[in-house]
Amino acid sequence: MRGAAAAPPEILEAERAFALSAQGLDPQTLSVRFEIADGYYLYRDKLNFSVSPGNLAAPIAPPGKIKEDQFFGKVETYRGRLQMELTLDAPRPGSAVTLVVESQGCADVGVCYPVQRQTLAVPLPRPGERPAPLVEAAPRRKSWFN
Amino acid sequence: MNKKIARTTVLVMAALLALAAGVHFGQRGLGGPWLAPAAKDASALLAVALPDIEGREQALGQWKGKVVVVNFWATWCAPCREEMPEFVRVQAELGGKGLQFVGIAVDQADKVQPFAREIGVNYPVLIGGYGAMELSKAFGNKLMALPFTLIINRQGEVAHTQLGPLKETQLRAIVGQLL
Repeated sequence: MRGAAAAPPEILEAERAFALSAQGLDPQTLSVRFEIADGYYLYRDKLNFSVSPGNLAAPIAPPGKIKEDQFFGKVETYRGRLQMELTLDAPRPGSAVTLVVESQGCADVGVCYPVQRQTLAVPLPRPGERPAPLVEAAPRRKSWFN
Repeated sequence: MNKKIARTTVLVMAALLALAAGVHFGQRGLGGPWLAPAAKDASALLAVALPDIEGREQALGQWKGKVVVVNFWATWCAPCREEMPEFVRVQAELGGKGLQFVGIAVDQADKVQPFAREIGVNYPVLIGGYGAMELSKAFGNKLMALPFTLIINRQGEVAHTQLGPLKETQLRAIVGQLL
């Protein structure tokens, strides 16, 4: 692109900066993973998970790294890979659940993204079956100007 | 309350539609590859009216003829908060020469008010909600990230767009040429 005196680092779309995927490990357990690009971080307290049908049994995100923020005080953030398991309130062998993930993060260069709300249809294996295939988050909805 | 939100939404949508309806898009010279070609003509933005933190509706058009710095921000965005005291300083210093900052918060009024008071904001801060993010996108913020700042010259044209913090030296250099 013309005009810029010194090319600043590229800034990624939120979906690429925080690549989300999920997998049904067994009839009652999902694995959720964020691959967070270098130079980006997610806030732990902005993570939110829900499923339908049913509920999640108390999803607890792993501890993050403590960051002393001049505005928000002590906040926990994640960098690199964030992987956690979510347990459904009841097994749903051979079916699929709709997983809704909310996340919010920033880039070290000084930009922040609004809360991203992503929806994945996650298949669940039957008892004794291998884990279901990995599901990657769908691209963001098209807006008026796409 | 809901009526006000509905009205704001209608106003923002009207501005977006006006923009989509054929205002020409020109390439901005400044900025990185994440900045989409944005409208050079800021009239669609200047046609927007949004409530300020007191709930009074403010039309951006009232500042036409000044050098207007429109800063899209939010309280949940630390880098946005970090640069705002700088804007307060520059507004105090250059306001008399025709510089006008306008903040548009992609946020809720009850979150914006305490912060605006805390840092002593001396320029209008308007409450745009999430619709403001779409508005910023129409002016090149294709990643819909914050802070995002537009500098509009006295002729009502976008002179600069910036995703990420605007350093004070850079801000002063750009604004100095336009005042």
